[in-house]
Amino acid sequence: MAVPPRTVTPVGSSEDQSESELMRQVAAGEIGGLETLYDRYHSMAYALALRITTETGLAEDVVQDSFLGLWRNAGRYAQERGSVRGWLLAIVRHRAIDALRRQRASVALGEEPDDALPSMLTLPDIWPEVAGRLDGESVRRAILLLPPAQRDVIELAYFDGLTQREIAERTGAPLGTVKSRMRLGLVALRVQLTGQYDDSLPPTPSANGKKGRA
Amino acid sequence: MVMTCARVRELASGFVLGALEPEEMIAVQDHLDGCAEPHPEVDELGGVLPYIAQSLAPVEPPAWLRESVIEAAKADLAGSRRMAMATTSAPAGAVNAAPAPHLVAVARSSRTRVVPFSAFAARHRRALAWTSRAAAALLVVSLAGYAFVVQNDLNTARSQSTANPYGVIGPNTRVAKLSPSDASSQAAGLAVLQPSGHVFVQVNHLDATSGDQVYMVWVTADHGVTSKIGWFTVDSSGTAQMDFTNVPNSASLWLFICKEPNSNVATPGAVYLGGTISL
Repeated sequence: MAVPPRTVTPVGSSEDQSESELMRQVAAGEIGGLETLYDRYHSMAYALALRITTETGLAEDVVQDSFLGLWRNAGRYAQERGSVRGWLLAIVRHRAIDALRRQRASVALGEEPDDALPSMLTLPDIWPEVAGRLDGESVRRAILLLPPAQRDVIELAYFDGLTQREIAERTGAPLGTVKSRMRLGLVALRVQLTGQYDDSLPPTPSANGKKGRA
Repeated sequence: MVMTCARVRELASGFVLGALEPEEMIAVQDHLDGCAEPHPEVDELGGVLPYIAQSLAPVEPPAWLRESVIEAAKADLAGSRRMAMATTSAPAGAVNAAPAPHLVAVARSSRTRVVPFSAFAARHRRALAWTSRAAAALLVVSLAGYAFVVQNDLNTARSQSTANPYGVIGPNTRVAKLSPSDASSQAAGLAVLQPSGHVFVQVNHLDATSGDQVYMVWVTADHGVTSKIGWFTVDSSGTAQMDFTNVPNSASLWLFICKEPNSNVATPGAVYLGGTISL
């Protein structure tokens, strides 16, 4: 079941090119480019940081740290790997969860955040042609259409930074069930957003190994 | 951990959400880095993530945050320019200003215990925000940028290192000059991050402490969390040397020293000396 597009904007896109130009400016050390990107994305970045950390002070630090990360790593941005928005939000999430984990426990931590952003942060936005016609409400509806168990697993991982094992412990569901729900939820969300099913997606990790559909 | 293409496909959803166990995350990443086969499932599933964030209603941060971000970027830019100048101006024999990637691995492997900070952060988040702004406003300069300007200090420290037990400065150390926030002060210092993760601090020309007074040493890691790593007192000589082991791992550390009425303070007071150690 696909979500019909609610907002149609030109695709293609002058905004993409504009972002590319802004990132070129930022990589060249031009403050104006950073100011424009901040003005464009600060409220989205702050909303994500606040949702994850639940503390305004910590969220403010995360946002500042994330924009500085973008500033320092702009030269590594690859337009073909996705939008600046997606890249920035990935940085925000990464740093917010790291801050959250540090707050949670006085346990020894291994990997530390640094300016060398993990390569997984460079995962591309899917389907730029889709991004242009999705607004926040469309995405919210797509997420709400997920079965609650799948939605919960994805949100616990995405917003709370829990591992599959931690989710299993918290929810009482078997680890295998959590893994299945996570995979099915992401595949279903992709289908909700695009209206497409892609055979390249991984099979459900089930006993018989058959490829599953959302 | 051996990872096959089929196993990576199974783990893709957990991987893109960062929800695998650490060793699995590393194994999948290593496989993707070296695998000749395409793994479109990782991009396809991972591409969903930005849209999850987009489902949140935008929230406006405080207005001062914009200025704070921009000022921090300007300070960062100033540091980079100083670094470029130092790289071209440093005399023969100057400290190697090139980044030392191996040092990152060494520092990470030390797995120092992060000072429990949750309660402090919860109670004093205003102070955290303050330190972030202060960090932006004060001189934030990469270590490499100091290669030229602190040469005299380093030469001094090198000569002293033969007489101290720390072996202060070596090929794998990183050094930051600690500068006073009050330009008229003669106080000065060096902070040396050693491969072991220890930070050696030497200060000179400090006012002597009296009674319960202490100099508290704080660090702000690059994720913005500030913690105190220790304190010291100073006699009429105005000098002190310390070695701190409870230092958070971080790509950069802003280390600063505040003079406090006692050692029980929970939030930093006025900054006396400060400097940034960067890898």
